[in-house]
Amino acid sequence: MTAPLLEVRGLNKIYRSGGGFLRAPREAQVVKDVGFTVGRGEVFGLVGESGSGKTTIGRMLLRLTEADSGEILFDGQDVRALGPAALRGFRRRAQMIFQDPFASLDPRVRVGDAIAAPIRLHGLRPAGSVKDRVVELLEMVGLSAAHADRHPHAFSGGQRQRVAIARALAVEPELIVCDEPVSALDLSVQAQVVNLLADLSARLGVAYVFISHDMAVVRHLASHVGVLYAGRLVETGPAAAVLGAPRHPYTRMLLAASPRPHAAGRRERAEATGEPPSPYGREPGCRFASRCPHAVAACRAAEPPLDAFADGARFAACIRAAELGPETAPAPEGAPSPAFQTRMALLRAARAEGRAASPDAPA
Amino acid sequence: MRSMHFKREKLARMAPDSSALHLTNDAPRPAAGRGRILDVHGLRVGFGGPAIVDGVDLAMEPGELLCLVGESGSGKSLTALSVMRLLPPGARLTADRFAFDGQDLASASEEAMNRLRGDRIAMVFQEPMTSLNPVMSVGDQMTEILEAHRGLGRKEAREVALAMLRRVKIPDPEARLDAYPHQLSGGMRQRVMIAMALICRPALLIADEPTTALDVTIQSQILHLLDELRAELGAAVLFITHNLALVAEIADRIAVMYAGRIVESGSRADLFADPQHPYTLSLLAALPREEDVGRPLTAIDGQPPAAGQMPTGCRFAPRCPFAVEKCRAAYPPLAELAPGHAVACWRAPLERNVA
Repeated sequence: MTAPLLEVRGLNKIYRSGGGFLRAPREAQVVKDVGFTVGRGEVFGLVGESGSGKTTIGRMLLRLTEADSGEILFDGQDVRALGPAALRGFRRRAQMIFQDPFASLDPRVRVGDAIAAPIRLHGLRPAGSVKDRVVELLEMVGLSAAHADRHPHAFSGGQRQRVAIARALAVEPELIVCDEPVSALDLSVQAQVVNLLADLSARLGVAYVFISHDMAVVRHLASHVGVLYAGRLVETGPAAAVLGAPRHPYTRMLLAASPRPHAAGRRERAEATGEPPSPYGREPGCRFASRCPHAVAACRAAEPPLDAFADGARFAACIRAAELGPETAPAPEGAPSPAFQTRMALLRAARAEGRAASPDAPA
Repeated sequence: MRSMHFKREKLARMAPDSSALHLTNDAPRPAAGRGRILDVHGLRVGFGGPAIVDGVDLAMEPGELLCLVGESGSGKSLTALSVMRLLPPGARLTADRFAFDGQDLASASEEAMNRLRGDRIAMVFQEPMTSLNPVMSVGDQMTEILEAHRGLGRKEAREVALAMLRRVKIPDPEARLDAYPHQLSGGMRQRVMIAMALICRPALLIADEPTTALDVTIQSQILHLLDELRAELGAAVLFITHNLALVAEIADRIAVMYAGRIVESGSRADLFADPQHPYTLSLLAALPREEDVGRPLTAIDGQPPAAGQMPTGCRFAPRCPFAVEKCRAAYPPLAELAPGHAVACWRAPLERNVA
């Protein structure tokens, strides 16, 4: 039994601000006691709202931000203890993709050179064959050799994200931390990039930590998920189980608030209430208690541990989770109408046919 | 600054319609003139070159919520700004018909528009931090509107502002009145924006991606609030968004925009149960759904055309799997297939025309 690709235990991060000679700085604990495991080739979805700590966790995994305490084991190796040389080796195996590809690509560097840089840096190909590798990578992400000589501004948002993916893949990583990689893209382009990421993971066996606030996209890509609230994991487990039958009241609220396309009319839903607590000076007890419709006195007394459920694969940090039981899946929206189904089938068939006819078209 | 104040005083004198300011009067303000509150036909907006918004038709009944859905660059925001006549410098606007409550907006003077804006037509933007004045307290920004449009005194205006903050469910509204925008959370700022927009009880509220920058749990609260207030105040809402799933939650009617034109419009049921245009279908197919887990999403190949390179025929034709010669030759008119449900596609209904 080999070690999992990535194992995170008890990760903490506190930001300190203000303070002076005699005054203690204010402390904001933005990540608290976070732990999860990602298997080889697996997609782990990290969901949460802004300020939940998901980006900080992603950055800590690659040591772009230093954790205060906790363990990050990559292939059994303690990432937090790596020296400069070993860290470079680690970053060949673990990469990151950001939300805004325009901000992560140097506007003055031709796309081909941007992709070639990490190949040269790590000496992954003899100098003569770097160009071929760049073309191979561009084609892998649905672009072509002709794109190599252009600058980032000449690309649309979706194409830029493809470039960012190609550059991340250039070092043949085993893990890519994807921080909201499709959030800035329009729906029609988002689907292309989601398909590309799924396809690459299946073909190359690369694992993702997929950070997102979009439950539908996470459900589509991830096999396991962790739900973050105010810096803490409140629920983890297989994606189908956590997002299909949530146990933690916050996961339920998040799912209920996520809009879903349907014709049935306005859903009468339990309205989400309140706002996440400030990271400064937390109240004792469960951090969701102030917004939770099920909170009792005990919830405000002590922080609930992330407890396992009967099957052992799922965890929820809620003392009432067992008692509340799994929520039955969100009310079905009713079967799609016959007209919708007929036309959708026509569309899928026509798209498949179009692709078969011109195999060069980007997927 | 001085001239602005002068203008405001003048406006206040010109619009002493105090009958509508009392928020305790819950009866919706009757829309002057029967029928449509907004009637736009053949709206074109461009910057000298090809039109970016190219022949848009929009009709809104009083009190209805119309969602204008489109991707970035589709011209949806430009359409919204046209109604406010807040187009960027250099923009040229033409229309066959462009009426708000019976008044022609295309020919209205800047002064007439100033009277309308913030009063009968109000707008909420995506990022409240950029539309709120950072150095003015929330209360001052709200009372300023009432002083300008209603000629209210400070004390009276403050009371109306307070009532409005209560109405948008801001906790501790008395204290918030003296708060500055940076002291509020994103959700609270958007509530303030909505309070400001609705304070003069507009007949039309334009909301341009008002929840896009917010988390989903906050988004759902804001949507709920908007829905409640529009019922209460009888305002029609033009809701601009790129989020198709969101539209299903709130719209009475939906208009789908692509590359500067409306390709399909109808009731929510029309669009979700009986979608006709291949673009609408493609958008619906691209949404990740539970039943699609484990197989690729049906993505739309390619990208929308750039403004300078619009195809001569249907603008979706280059990305449409059903496109035939006719589609590339001539743009299909937006034609009604059923009462209230219009589609701009030569090949609709697909099941009849695609063998």
